Amino acid sequence: MDFQLSDDHRMLQDSLRGILTRHSGEALMPALAEAGVPQALLTEAEGGFDGSGAAVALIFEALGRAGASLPLIGTMIGVAALAQAGQPADDGATIAFADAEPGTRYDRGVAITVDGDRVTGRKTMVAGAEGATAIVVTTADALWLVAADAAGLTVRPYPLMDDQRGADLIFDGTPATRLGRLTDFDAVLARGVLAHAAYALGTLSAAVDLTMDYLRTRKQFGQPLIAFQALAHRAADLSVEVEQARSAVTNFAGHLDADAPLRDRHLQACKVTLGRAARLVAEESVQLHGGIGMTEEYALGGMIRRLLAADTAMGDADYHLERFARGEPAFA
Amino acid sequence: MDMSFTAEETAFRDDIRAFLKAELDPALARKVRLHHDLTKAEMEGWHAKLQSKDWLAGNWPTEFGGAGWTAIQRHIFEEESARAHAPRIVPFGIAMLGPVLQKFGSKEQQDYWLPRILNGDDWWCQGYSEPGAGSDLASLRCEAVRDGDDYVVNGQKTWTTLGQHANMIFCLVRTNATGKKQEGISFLLIDMTTPGVSVRPIVLLDGTAEVNEVWFDNVRVPAANLVGTENDGWTYAKYLLTHERTNIAGVGFATAALDNLKRVAKAQRHRGQPLSDDPLFATEMASVEIELMAMSTTNLRMLSAAAQGQAPGIESSMLKIKARRSASVWMR
Repeated sequence: MDFQLSDDHRMLQDSLRGILTRHSGEALMPALAEAGVPQALLTEAEGGFDGSGAAVALIFEALGRAGASLPLIGTMIGVAALAQAGQPADDGATIAFADAEPGTRYDRGVAITVDGDRVTGRKTMVAGAEGATAIVVTTADALWLVAADAAGLTVRPYPLMDDQRGADLIFDGTPATRLGRLTDFDAVLARGVLAHAAYALGTLSAAVDLTMDYLRTRKQFGQPLIAFQALAHRAADLSVEVEQARSAVTNFAGHLDADAPLRDRHLQACKVTLGRAARLVAEESVQLHGGIGMTEEYALGGMIRRLLAADTAMGDADYHLERFARGEPAFA
Repeated sequence: MDMSFTAEETAFRDDIRAFLKAELDPALARKVRLHHDLTKAEMEGWHAKLQSKDWLAGNWPTEFGGAGWTAIQRHIFEEESARAHAPRIVPFGIAMLGPVLQKFGSKEQQDYWLPRILNGDDWWCQGYSEPGAGSDLASLRCEAVRDGDDYVVNGQKTWTTLGQHANMIFCLVRTNATGKKQEGISFLLIDMTTPGVSVRPIVLLDGTAEVNEVWFDNVRVPAANLVGTENDGWTYAKYLLTHERTNIAGVGFATAALDNLKRVAKAQRHRGQPLSDDPLFATEMASVEIELMAMSTTNLRMLSAAAQGQAPGIESSMLKIKARRSASVWMR
């Protein structure tokens, strides 16, 4: 067993760190594109050069650590799914992934229904829907492609908690192309879940690092906060959770290409571990900071919003815990 | 021991309910239920309606214009108000400064300031925390130097809740920098329209700006605005904080939040059933309700002890801890 990154992946990590140090905001996405990061998320068959669990995990962990909110996951899922369906996306396509439905606790195909090759209903919290060239949509048991300018599609945008732009999508007899059964695309969807989990790992480890720095620097009662045993113990608990979260991501990344039943066990375990760790870190890092942790000006504020949002992507911890306990597949 | 309400208490509750039904504007109640920010006029309007019944200061003795309610009556009022989604009474004048002036203020201060709290002439805010004095409050440095009939105040306060609406601030200031740090603090009432006072909002991670920084630059404050004895302010500050904390568990508001959660759980669906029928969710919601049942009685026991003249000490801090932990469970 070897937990070290390959030489290629270490180079990818170094180049990514460099880019994330030098670029932010609107300049970030072009810099990532120039360095080939989007292609590293895809296999050769999908028009990329990697697409492994290790690559996806290290890229999204780095993005999470840097606090970069980009709608990359939708495009990754969309391009991979279209390639698998034999309908490759245009170069430079940006694709939104419409999965969550309002009021259904992550169950699919409840608020949206299919009649022939038309879909009717709602999807919610769709990241990157505004500027997308196409939308990939889940229904009860299938994956569909909808053109961004399709008739009967209404996009109602709003800011998401994690600083991305999101939208409610309202479909009214909207023409759609069936890409295949959901289970046919479970490997592609699993890659999306891994991306969300790794992003959360990067975010929570950055939040814990920031909290540790603060505890060592901030003085009250004439001592640094870390000198108070009650705080030191709570901080130690957070450090343990970061390691557990890292192991859960490593487990899942290492089994991304395993047989579906084994991969799904790791997917569910990863989502449960990360969802819980993200919430714990969000709550405890605020408490350990005090008021400053609640402010928008200090970096922790944005991290907390991204951590609370992380659990809600593609099924939260409760959703995956139940499916794990019942021995159900991740996507069906 | 008798856990049931007396006939008088039941009649009191019915009075409160009838008042809330008649006087609480449904549009305002909706804003409270959805946690929207209220305007200053909305908060003042609700205070005025309560004061028209002499119910604004339930915690004050009748000799000071309060309602002189028992601990049980206050509990009933808070629970009914919260269940009806009435605005929370702004605590700074009523719950914090009022009791301090009644116990430690001069007759002149009581006669002048207490009626102005009740009739809404003054909006108070709290000048306790400083950037370097959070949990270690006694290390505060904002200084007041006696100069003739005035104090001259220089320094900074922070986390000043609703300070943007306030015309008056009660401040802990340093009047003696030698000796034990607790022994050089005084309690001063400062008019915020005095030259040299400036207020800057702090934006929080949810985008709201409810808290502020307040600066004092050579602010002249009449020495008549000193409460009690110079350098004895720490005693008054602690007295105020125990009163602040007996209501801090927010049991009524937790009850309202639980009602809201039940409503949402009936509307959301999971696996084809209302979420409230889902066994995992139902047991977790039941755990929250059970915790709230105990917390409600904990709060009541402490209020009752306080009413019998026992100082609410360590128990009121326990309420703050318990409320914080419970809030974290409810957030999920």
